[in-house]
Amino acid sequence: MSVAARAFELQRGAVGRLRVAVAPVAGLRSVVALLALEAGQWSEPEGRAGIARLTAQSLLRGTTTRDAASWAAALDDLGAAARMDVGGHIAVVSGQCLAPDLPAYLRLVAEAVLRPALQPGEVETVRAETRAALEEESRNTRGVADRVWRELAYPPLHPFRARPLGDPEVVRGATVDELRAFHGREILGRGGVLVLAGGIAPADALAAAEEAFSSWPGGPATAPRAVPLATIATAQRRAEVVPDKTQSDVILGWLGLPRTDPRFVPARVTNMVFAADTFASRAGKVVRDELGLAYYFFSTIAATRGQGPWVVRMGVNPRNVDRALQTTLAELRVVLDGGFPQVDLELAQDKLVGELRIALESPAGIAQMVLEAELFELGLDHYERYAEQLRSVTRDQVIETARAFLLADRYALAIAGPPLEA
Amino acid sequence: MTTQVASPRTSDAPATRRLDNGLVLYAAEARHAPVVSLWVWYHVGGRNEVPGTTGMSHFLEHMLFKGTPAHPKGDLDRLLARYGALWNAFTSEDVTCYFETVPVERYPVALELEADRMRNALISSEEVEAERTVIVSEREGYENDPSFLLGEELQAIAFGRHPYGQGVIGSKEEIRLMTREGLFAHYRRFYAPSNAYVVLVGDDEAEALLDRAATAFGPLEEGEAAPLVRAPEPAQHGERRTVVRRAGGAVPLVQLAFKSVRATDPTVPALQALAVALAGASGGAQEAASGRSSRLYRALVATGLATEVEAGAGLNKDPFLFTIEATLRPDGDHSAVEARILDELERIAHEPMPAEEFARVRKQLLAANAFPSDTVTGRSFRLGQLLSAGAAASIGEWYARLAAVTADDVRSAAAATFDERSRNVGWFVPLS
Repeated sequence: MSVAARAFELQRGAVGRLRVAVAPVAGLRSVVALLALEAGQWSEPEGRAGIARLTAQSLLRGTTTRDAASWAAALDDLGAAARMDVGGHIAVVSGQCLAPDLPAYLRLVAEAVLRPALQPGEVETVRAETRAALEEESRNTRGVADRVWRELAYPPLHPFRARPLGDPEVVRGATVDELRAFHGREILGRGGVLVLAGGIAPADALAAAEEAFSSWPGGPATAPRAVPLATIATAQRRAEVVPDKTQSDVILGWLGLPRTDPRFVPARVTNMVFAADTFASRAGKVVRDELGLAYYFFSTIAATRGQGPWVVRMGVNPRNVDRALQTTLAELRVVLDGGFPQVDLELAQDKLVGELRIALESPAGIAQMVLEAELFELGLDHYERYAEQLRSVTRDQVIETARAFLLADRYALAIAGPPLEA
Repeated sequence: MTTQVASPRTSDAPATRRLDNGLVLYAAEARHAPVVSLWVWYHVGGRNEVPGTTGMSHFLEHMLFKGTPAHPKGDLDRLLARYGALWNAFTSEDVTCYFETVPVERYPVALELEADRMRNALISSEEVEAERTVIVSEREGYENDPSFLLGEELQAIAFGRHPYGQGVIGSKEEIRLMTREGLFAHYRRFYAPSNAYVVLVGDDEAEALLDRAATAFGPLEEGEAAPLVRAPEPAQHGERRTVVRRAGGAVPLVQLAFKSVRATDPTVPALQALAVALAGASGGAQEAASGRSSRLYRALVATGLATEVEAGAGLNKDPFLFTIEATLRPDGDHSAVEARILDELERIAHEPMPAEEFARVRKQLLAANAFPSDTVTGRSFRLGQLLSAGAAASIGEWYARLAAVTADDVRSAAAATFDERSRNVGWFVPLS
């Protein structure tokens, strides 16, 4: 099945280092706009975890031509929804606006991204909010588990060792000049991808993007940061007590692989066979459905340019943590040993292929699909090939992928919550 | 300033059919993707429970995934997974709802699964025991969140008589006491065509969607009429307050909940606009850039008193709450934040809203209502949600009511709602 066969025909363009992709969907009133900037954690200078997010959030606090309040009012005048999220490799401005407002919305976003004020008072506001978020996460079991897991899995100075919120000391000490330098080098100096999906004519959308982002510089991009390969050499486990909580949040994980690696699609299928879904994956079915040990249980594999987290997450009563973990590892050994039936693989493939079709129901779903393909340059025929790629993954490839990445005796395990019971 | 937002197309008005067994069907076409989103709504939730059985509707929701004689446990999950379906269920104070968004050629199967579990769920003792720990785990996950803990307390003090005060999930003690017999009786009492309705939106003609649904649900027996809820909440005559002090959170919270109206009240659209005027239309997390022109954002977040603020008006069957929540900085001052919120509420209730501000609020309100309708799942959910408590008969009607709100309607709704006598205030105070 060709994913794009019915719902959208993709049109592409470029403005300076910004690549633009437009997926029109007839009959919709709105447009989803995803602007991915190659300015996530991977772009942070060594030892400066948090600079990417501080910069990204400060972009939305006023420009060279209007202050923060005026920019915010202009955005709300359009009724647009917009947010900025920073991840492993990219910072994404996600927005949705009514179709006739797209040119005005893009002008506002371009103003923020290309000509931010980065005014000291506004940077202080972002800093104070970030410090509050760090404080809040220090007593949030999911936040603590994520921090601990990263500390176990990645070596010092690796860009993924810290959470995108950053290192508290870096957040406290970052200067406005540092943020301005990051903006110039990593945002203006790199490429980006703009995906527009919804009720728009491609020519109009491309023209709006071109007009809004015409000042984005062209030419060679800043060289990417070189990051040595990391490894998890032994099983590592750490539990941190978070006071006055009733549930433990658990992260069991490994280092993944780049989205551009040919083994990534088999890895996605392997993830589904193992633990991605509560009902369609082996470990989820046993831990939640058969043993009733967890309300939430799932695994994810990050699509990044590096070794992103490949993790199983679960919320478990402290007295059940060890049983849930042993059960999960037992299911992993079944995958590693090839002891799973062919029907498990077929179910995983059916689900992943079926989800592609369901994603077509929403402009956000289409935009996410296009963003991944454009960001990692998966090829003009990606949409025609992707479902077949998923279908063609063999049982041997699943076993081989698990043996390469999901070792039962070399993992990082973080537990955060009440004291664990014996 | 213009505030043009295209109204929903006339095809958004659903086709309807009432079956002989009392089940009402609603269907609308959405042709932009080859999927159908099917939602089955039951008129049962926390509102239908009495002390000691709180959480029963939610527990039952979990049991509807545990098999029928025709589709043993695992069948439904496996089939829907194979389709790549988007599917889930939820329970609220008023309703329990199940949904599947599936490829268009599979929706007859989804209908058959839903019709089957409407009357034939097994609810075995073994599965009740296995699922009990999952539900306790769900509850424990919520308890890790200070906002949930405070909100639960606040709802409890706001309602002295009405079951809304009990919440939805129930206490761990109640969850542990629930029996298979009690759950099954609850199921037979409330899960019947005459106490439900079905919404389908998707890539087929509306009449065809109705025909398929009628084929699936038509043979079911009507069932007995569900008992009415008769627990009106007496008027509140003075402020009520609660404080939660726990170590399980690092940042202080302030929540306010004012007694409000039911979804059928003519002022409900104005209350929706009021929430947008106070805190924007899309939530107040730090990553959000929209909503920063709102009154409480400017008063609390832009001034450094808080990091996030949200406001909302429920669409409920019985008079519910208008809520405001502010997340303070770690060293934040509850009293200062509460006082500032009350100042802003006083202003919006008694001073005319400038035309420019109202135009901005109106645009956000209408756009925020348009966005979800651009997904098949969102459109189907929205229609069902409006029908659940009688807020509107269609998305188009709801849009028209929102579009008709005036600045003075917003001020009047604020004046009627923000009364000290119907105010409930909660503070979450972190312990070090």
